[in-house]
Amino acid sequence: MSQAINPKGARKYVAGTRAADWAGDYLGSTLGNKVLVAVTGLSLAAFVIGHLAGNLKMFSGRESINAYAYFLKHDLGVLIWVARAGLLGAFATHVALTIRLKLKTRAARPIGYATQKSAQASVQSKFMLSTGLVILAFTIFHLAHYTFCVIHPVEVNGVLVDYSQLTHKGKHDVYSMVVYGFSTPWISAIYVATQVILFLHLTHGLTSSLHTLGLLGRRFTPVARLAAYGFAGLVLAGNLTIVFAVWGGWLTLPSDVTAL
Amino acid sequence: MKFTIKVWRQKNRTDAGRMAEYAVDGITPDMSFLEMMDQLNEQLIKAGEEPVAFDHDCREGICGSCNMMINGQAHGPERGATTCQVHMRSFRDGDRLVVEPWRAAAFPVIRDLVVDRSAFDRVIQSGGFVGVNTGGTPDGNAVPIPKVDQDRAMDAAQCIGCGACVAACPNASAMLFLSAKVGHLGALPQGQPERKARVKTMVAAHDREGFGHCTNIGECEAACPKEISTEFIMQLNRDYITSALSAVVRG
Repeated sequence: MSQAINPKGARKYVAGTRAADWAGDYLGSTLGNKVLVAVTGLSLAAFVIGHLAGNLKMFSGRESINAYAYFLKHDLGVLIWVARAGLLGAFATHVALTIRLKLKTRAARPIGYATQKSAQASVQSKFMLSTGLVILAFTIFHLAHYTFCVIHPVEVNGVLVDYSQLTHKGKHDVYSMVVYGFSTPWISAIYVATQVILFLHLTHGLTSSLHTLGLLGRRFTPVARLAAYGFAGLVLAGNLTIVFAVWGGWLTLPSDVTAL
Repeated sequence: MKFTIKVWRQKNRTDAGRMAEYAVDGITPDMSFLEMMDQLNEQLIKAGEEPVAFDHDCREGICGSCNMMINGQAHGPERGATTCQVHMRSFRDGDRLVVEPWRAAAFPVIRDLVVDRSAFDRVIQSGGFVGVNTGGTPDGNAVPIPKVDQDRAMDAAQCIGCGACVAACPNASAMLFLSAKVGHLGALPQGQPERKARVKTMVAAHDREGFGHCTNIGECEAACPKEISTEFIMQLNRDYITSALSAVVRG
C-alpha cells in the first residue's frame, strides 16, 4: 500500500464519441459546411442592417452621427472587441468555407458539358462566389477608407490631412468624413457598384441560407424569396440614399471643418 | 424529320473521348428519342461503324436507365420526363442536337453515353434501408400512418435513381437523390429507429463518392423526371441538424 493505484485502469473511450469526432463528422461534411456558411451569412446580413441603421444617422445631423461613432468606439468597452472578433470570425468562416466547398465542387465535375442550359436557376445564384469576393475586396477597401483612413487624404485649411484628423467639438468628425468621401466620384462609384453587387448576393443568399437551415417549406419559400428582395432592396436603397444625398447637395460639407 | 446529332464517343473508361457528328433522316415526330438513337445506330452498323452505346431498359420512364444530356438539359427539354419519354416532336426539323453523357467525377463514363452510377448504390448501402422483424407477414394497417405522411413518402420514393439531378446541378451534387432516399424512409414510422444515424451516414457516403454541395438553385428539381421537390432537401437539412444536435447530448 505504498501508492494509490486505480485497479480498474483508465476510463476507456468508445471510438467516435469525442467532441472532435462530432465536429469532424457533422461540421466537416458538405452539409455541415453549408450550415455554417448559412449561419454566418445570416449573422453578417444582420450586421449589414444594423450598420445601415447607424449610417442613416447621417440624416439626423452631424452631432448625432459623431456621437454615435464616439459611443461605438469609446463607450462599449470590451464589448466592441467582442463584436469585432465575432464579425471577423463570421466573415472569415463564411469566406473560407465557401472557398473550401467551391474547390471540392470543382473536383466533382472534372469534364464539363459542351452545352448546358439552365432551367430555373437565378443569375445571381450562379455568381455567389464572384459577388462574395467583390464584397470581400470592398470590405477591405471600406475599412481602409473610413476606418483606417489611409485611402483618401483631404485638404483642410490648406493642409493635407487624413480622415482620422477631422474633429468637431472634441469628437471624430464622421459626418464631414462621409461627405468628403462621397464628394469624390471614383470613391462613390466603388460604393454604388458594390451596393448593387451586395443586393444580388443577398437576394440569393438570404433565401438559400434559410433553405439550408431547413426553415422554409412549400408555403413559405415564395414568401421568403420576396422578403429577401425586400431586405436586400432596403439595404441597397438605404445606403445609396446617403451617396445620392451628398451628390444632390442634401448633405453638405459644414463650413467649420477642422483638423487636429 | 432530319437531324444532325452531335454525340459523345468514348471507347472505354480510359479513352479521352470526343464529340462526333452524324446526320439522321427519316425520323417521324412520334418516335421517342431512343428510337431516333436506334435508327442512328442501325445507320452506323450498316456503314460498318461502331454504334453509339447508351443505357436503356424499360422505355416507359420507370427504370431510370436512359440517361442523356440533350442540348444541355438532363433528359431533354420536357419537364417530368425521362429520355425515353421525350419524343422527336419536341424538336424542330433540321435541329442540331447535342447529346452527352452525365458529367460527374462520381459517374465515370464507361463507353459513349453509358456512365457508371454505382456511386448511388453505395450511398444507398450506407443507410438507405430500414430494420424490420422477420417472420410472418404483418397485418395490413397494423401500423397507422397518416395519409399525408404516406403521400409524402411516396412523393420521395418516386425517385428512380437516374442521376439527372447530379447531371443538371452545376456543382454535380446528389442532394436531391439523397434527400429523396432519406426523405421517404424518414416520413414513415418504419424509418424512425435509424432516422438520426441514417442521415449522418448517408451524407458522409454522398461526400465520399465525390459529389458536390447544394447551392439551393433548384436545377435538379427542374431536371427530375419524377418532379421530386427541393422541399425534400430542406427536410434533409432539418434531419441533419436534428441529428447533429442530438449527437451533442446523446454521445
